[in-house]
Amino acid sequence: MDFVTSLIGKMPTLLAAAQGGSDASIFEKFGVSWPKFLAQVLLFLIVYMILSKFAFKPILAILEERKQRIADSEENLKRIAAELEEADLKKGEIISEANARAERLVSEARESADALAEKKRNEATSEAAQIIAKAREAGELEKNQAMAELKRDFGRLVVDTTGKVTGKVLTDDDQQKINSEISAQISV
Amino acid sequence: MTQSVSDALVFEGINPMLLLGEVSLMAEPFADASTLGWLTNSVFVAAFIALLILWAARKATRNAQRVPSGFQNFFELLVEFVYSQVEQIVGKKLAPRVFPLLATIFIYVAISNWFGLLPGIGTVGFGSEATQATLTLSAEDEHIVPLLRPPTADLNTTLGMAVVFMLIWVYLTVRETGVIGFLKHTFGPKGGIKGLLGMAIVPVFLFVGVIEMISIALRPVSLSLRLFGNVFAGENLMHVMANLAEKYDLPAFVTFMASVLVPLPTFFLELLVGGLQAMVFALLCGVYIQLSTAHDEEEGH
Repeated sequence: MDFVTSLIGKMPTLLAAAQGGSDASIFEKFGVSWPKFLAQVLLFLIVYMILSKFAFKPILAILEERKQRIADSEENLKRIAAELEEADLKKGEIISEANARAERLVSEARESADALAEKKRNEATSEAAQIIAKAREAGELEKNQAMAELKRDFGRLVVDTTGKVTGKVLTDDDQQKINSEISAQISV
Repeated sequence: MTQSVSDALVFEGINPMLLLGEVSLMAEPFADASTLGWLTNSVFVAAFIALLILWAARKATRNAQRVPSGFQNFFELLVEFVYSQVEQIVGKKLAPRVFPLLATIFIYVAISNWFGLLPGIGTVGFGSEATQATLTLSAEDEHIVPLLRPPTADLNTTLGMAVVFMLIWVYLTVRETGVIGFLKHTFGPKGGIKGLLGMAIVPVFLFVGVIEMISIALRPVSLSLRLFGNVFAGENLMHVMANLAEKYDLPAFVTFMASVLVPLPTFFLELLVGGLQAMVFALLCGVYIQLSTAHDEEEGH
């Protein structure tokens, strides 16, 4: 406390001492003079001008360019995202359309296949019927021919046999009669 | 012999000012004042720092790539940080024009401040008769003239920067608002009060304008003295801390260890103060610009 009181008491002396006890100006006390001041100003201005032109300008240009590129990229990204969304929607639409179309095609194909199969089946059935009818006709014809041949051969055989057994020559009427009887019996 | 501050403070046999450092208030010239008086230890360091900054800027921008790496990356980080601060203060319109000045101030001041923390700065020198009293020495006492002195511990530097800034400030303000605009902005009534009340308060705003003009005129002084005071005080503090043990009769080893260990906390404090003061100087400059061009900026919106 004594020290502080004493210090306060000595303030005028201290201030006088701080002023160097002379008439020197504040600038002189701090060593401020035109040559030194101008030297420092000049150095600062040199640094300022060179940095402005050759350091900050290119760096700011690069930063601006980068900022622009980032903004462009973000814009592109947004556009791409929108396009992607649109493409997704389109894709969905196309897929559903394609599905519908495919279903329609499949059902059409199925219908046409059914119709074709029906047609082919009908054709095959009618062809088969025709073949059967033809076969039946041919069979009938062959049977008739065989029957006729059989009648003829059998008639001749009976006539020959009858002639040989009776020993008389059969007339045409006899032969005709025998043949008719034989034919009637064979037919039965 | 003039009475020094230390003499004035002698109290009960103890001179508390002996605890203070022996840093000269002013930068000291290497040569005779009549020929190369301007070439002081701080001018020498300022020139070295200027070259260092220019070399670093050249290194960062010489082969600038779109995708930065190494030193370019660091420089871009610094530029981007300062630019965003400047933009926040002065607005988007003025930022590109003001940024180079404020960034130069910030970088130059920060490096100058931190340069003083390097070993040997302010301590390695040659014995000479003091040309000017320090806090502890009178003008005739022998003291060490340091070979290197941080430029911001020289009022010439801080005042020079402040004056350069104020000149550019005047140019920018006149360009942005015009002389009439500036005068209207400074002396004109604000708040949109019209009619009789508006007329009545005109003298008040005129008086406020005069105070504002005085405040503007004192800006270089406040800017320069604040920075100089902080850095000079820091230099003194570092000296005191480094030499603290020498004031007591201690073994040589203890004195040596104390000179290394005691200043360590101060060292970190000064690192902080150095960066902070650089930022304060640059930001205040930005605020001054913003204040004088704010009207124009608002109208611009």
